[in-house]
Amino acid sequence: MTPQTDAAPTNQRGKVRNKRQSLQAPERRAGYGMLTPSLLVIGAVTLFPILYSMWMSLNHISLTVNGFSMNFAGLQNYSLVIHSETFWHSVWFTFYFAVVTVFLELFLGMLIALAINGIDRLKNVSVVIMLIPWSLITVVSAQMWGYIYNGVYGVLNYLLQSLHLIGAPVTWLGTGTSAVMAMMVADIWKTTPFVVIIILAGLQMVPRDLYESAYLDGANAWHVFWSVTFPMVRGSIALAGLFRILQAFGMFDLPYVLTQGGPGTATESLSILGDRVMFQNLDFGPGSAVAVCTVILVLALSLVFLSAFRNLVREGESE
Amino acid sequence: MKNRTKLGTLGLSVVTLGALVAGCGTAPTTNTATNTASNGTSGTQNTTGTVDLSKASGTVVWAASPIAQTGIRNTLIGDFEKAHPNIKIQLVDLPSNTDTNRQSLATEIEGGATTPDVYMGDVIWPAQFGQSQLAVPLNKYLPSSFFTRFASGLVQGASYKGNVYAAPFYVDSGFLYYRKDLLQKAGLQPPQSWEQVVSDAQTLQKKGLVQYGFVWQGASYEGLTCDFMEYLTDAGGQVLNSQGQPTIDSPQALKAVNFMKSLITSGISPRAEVTFQEAQSMNVFDQGNAAFLRNWDYAWSNSQNPADSKVVGKVGVEPLPTFGGPDGHGTIGGWDLYVNPHTKNLNASLEFINWMTGVQAQKILATKYSEIPTNATVQNDPQVKKVNPVLNIVSQVKLVSRPSQTPNYPQVSQAIYTNVNQALSGGTSVSAALKKAQQQIQSAVSGNGGL
Amino acid sequence: MIEAKWKTIFRYVILIAFLVIILLPFYWMFITSFKTDFALGAYPPSLFPVHWTLQHYVEAFTKYGFGTYIRNSVVVSLVSTFLVLTFASMAGFSVAQLPVRGKTPLLVMFLVISMFPAIAIMSPLYMLLRHLNWLNSYQALIIPYTAFNLPFAIWILRNYFLQLPKALLEAARVDGASIFQSFYRIYLPLTTPGMFTAAVFTFVASWTEFFMALTFNQNNSMRTIPVGIALFSGQYTIPYGTIFAGSVVSIVPIILLTILFRKWIVSGLTSGAVKG
Repeated sequence: MTPQTDAAPTNQRGKVRNKRQSLQAPERRAGYGMLTPSLLVIGAVTLFPILYSMWMSLNHISLTVNGFSMNFAGLQNYSLVIHSETFWHSVWFTFYFAVVTVFLELFLGMLIALAINGIDRLKNVSVVIMLIPWSLITVVSAQMWGYIYNGVYGVLNYLLQSLHLIGAPVTWLGTGTSAVMAMMVADIWKTTPFVVIIILAGLQMVPRDLYESAYLDGANAWHVFWSVTFPMVRGSIALAGLFRILQAFGMFDLPYVLTQGGPGTATESLSILGDRVMFQNLDFGPGSAVAVCTVILVLALSLVFLSAFRNLVREGESE
Repeated sequence: MKNRTKLGTLGLSVVTLGALVAGCGTAPTTNTATNTASNGTSGTQNTTGTVDLSKASGTVVWAASPIAQTGIRNTLIGDFEKAHPNIKIQLVDLPSNTDTNRQSLATEIEGGATTPDVYMGDVIWPAQFGQSQLAVPLNKYLPSSFFTRFASGLVQGASYKGNVYAAPFYVDSGFLYYRKDLLQKAGLQPPQSWEQVVSDAQTLQKKGLVQYGFVWQGASYEGLTCDFMEYLTDAGGQVLNSQGQPTIDSPQALKAVNFMKSLITSGISPRAEVTFQEAQSMNVFDQGNAAFLRNWDYAWSNSQNPADSKVVGKVGVEPLPTFGGPDGHGTIGGWDLYVNPHTKNLNASLEFINWMTGVQAQKILATKYSEIPTNATVQNDPQVKKVNPVLNIVSQVKLVSRPSQTPNYPQVSQAIYTNVNQALSGGTSVSAALKKAQQQIQSAVSGNGGL
Repeated sequence: MIEAKWKTIFRYVILIAFLVIILLPFYWMFITSFKTDFALGAYPPSLFPVHWTLQHYVEAFTKYGFGTYIRNSVVVSLVSTFLVLTFASMAGFSVAQLPVRGKTPLLVMFLVISMFPAIAIMSPLYMLLRHLNWLNSYQALIIPYTAFNLPFAIWILRNYFLQLPKALLEAARVDGASIFQSFYRIYLPLTTPGMFTAAVFTFVASWTEFFMALTFNQNNSMRTIPVGIALFSGQYTIPYGTIFAGSVVSIVPIILLTILFRKWIVSGLTSGAVKG
């Protein structure tokens, strides 16, 4: 991109601006230059593959000794996907899991953060402990919970039996409902501490005198929360929530290790389904169609996220 | 005459292979060319059933998952190298989970990797791997006499559309393990039918001798398809008929799954049965908490190892029974040896396979490590039968194959185990699960990717 | 007064209960890694090992090659982190301080892309890597990890660069420094806290990533820790002892990192960084 083409045609505001812009030309060039490596890497790893995924999803793809052979198939793969009960179950499960866990994580995170906000002792230790589950390899946490939930020698059954909360050992991963719940608990355990830290950080930015004046006005704690605290942290909670939901949409590690999608296909997320079709059954056409459908769903969610996020990006802009 | 046609097909295979690998280096083509020569000479002295690959040399990379006991692979490699000073074998460890293994090998070979040259793969892979050209059709390079060494039915199981894609390395099957000591205490004989397994188990449980009656594999994975095939065949049913059409929504299948489910609902099998793979069922049995166990050959040595097991010396084994009598069906499991089509050491690889399925190696496998040999001569060797009770009764087992003759077998099996597991866990009724399995298999055999 | 005291006690009870719930599963994992094989499958389980053994730690390294997995994870995570910092600091400087057109849509697009599920790019990326003969290599993971972590790092660093006055650049240029020199010598040292934050987030994300590592680096010698731990299970065995021994080892560097960089992680979170 040369400075001339850059400055000249798009400008309609007269010569002064035009001149200023041409003075900025070296800076502009440097700006693009310094963006280039990032653009290249991101483009090569995300944009190109997503477009190629779309192309693959329109083809019959078979493996040969020399790699892939592709034959255009129109929308046949999509027809397969759309008429598949397995796919729709997986959409439902992924969505349900994402929304419920993220809601619970935010709710619990809020409660806990409010309860422990203002404790100064143990603060450093607490933060480190709360960060450990966040930095934990999900595969490790899944193996750990799998062992805890085990229906024969799992320690959860032992604890609950000792407390007389259950009679016989329960097979937590053995029925659809309880397996989904067990998986939710594992996810909530791993993520809630992280949410607590975010909300705590938000809470600490609320000026103290705001509280004091609210209490002086005779408001009760509940009222103070809704009128003072919540509006201050609403932004970061909403953002955290949307990020988490998008992330949960790609969920793969937890079911891969904990339930392998079972019992039956009860815990088969979209990523697990896509992986099974593509890399286990080596059926790349329908698998790509699943992947593209996942992207479309994520894009739809991202639109929600965008409208919330735009303002935040603009806040920092000086231009 | 015969030689001529053989050379004809070989020539053709050289052309197709060469055309397909153009751009990936020319090594396989040259290999095939040299092989044509060596095959030609072996054709004239084609009496011993082995190929003249004695001049083969090079380094063969062998990918294999750990065979039940550690050390087997290296013992075999050591003996092979002693007999073949010009060939070195390099062992690459594979994960021992069959699905992970398949994914790993399929993607690697499909990606054009020239190694491993030889890999150990499941007996259910030939159709899928043959269809996707992930394995060399051995019959194109080895004389038909090579294949006569195997026990009956095994070569057929390694074939797809008239080509043999693998050499059976060792077989496996389901067996019924029982607690001798408990049966004795209750004055019972080893059960002679599924009904008797149920009643014996209940007797032992009622007497407080044991916590669970019978443990097996009920989790949503390949192993459940294996267990299901045994009950289904015992009940007289099939997954696919001779035309390759699904017949799983049948009264026989209903009987089979209802029986499996009744084991859980009656408390003979633990509720956790629906999450059991081999390891969990073995663990319950080893801890002394189950009277009967359905498991593979390895369970014998495992239950007799004091480091893992509380039931050393208390275990008996017999072929699985059937409904209303003894001698039921056992699903064929086990592992084959495949050759990578991108290999640069075809001759040495073939010689490795030749030796590994020969009498010497197979005898080591059986006598030292109590694996079930595929070589018929070794399988019937009285010395081998003495090694352990499993090897002694293996010839009585009525083997049944999983419906792996379709290249879409992974999808067919997924349809079976996910739906049967769903029915066992109470997620759906048995008949609804079978209807769904029928539909999914129908669309799986027509290539739906398992959706 | 009394009510306030009661309230404080309540706060502490909640905090301690919360911390205990976080730590209990770790306790169980830690204890299990020292139990004998036989005790692993016993019920009722012993809440404390009767016989301690280091057998699983030894096996993890000798029998299962855990050392290789650690080496691979360290190489991949460190190189990815280095690349992300290099590229993101330039890009962050560019969008914060230089007159680049369309930066807002670009930033938003980056952030959206970074949240895309990996499944969306898995098969084409796999085919691309295969075509380049890069499957089972370090770059097979380093490049995607760099790409997926860049947007967030750019975002963080941009926020730091925005706080610095534009006058610095003008002054430096009057002194005859090039734009890149002023970026490198003047701006970069002032954003060290942001660099720490971006580094920790990238490192943790690369250290824990599983899906791509599982798909692109199948070969045993190229597996990273998460893949190794997921695939320890055998055909007929689930060696929980070894799994947890490996897990404990994998947590140690991360805990050290968390202790050392706690401040920067939290500051990263407060600066609108909410990526998990």
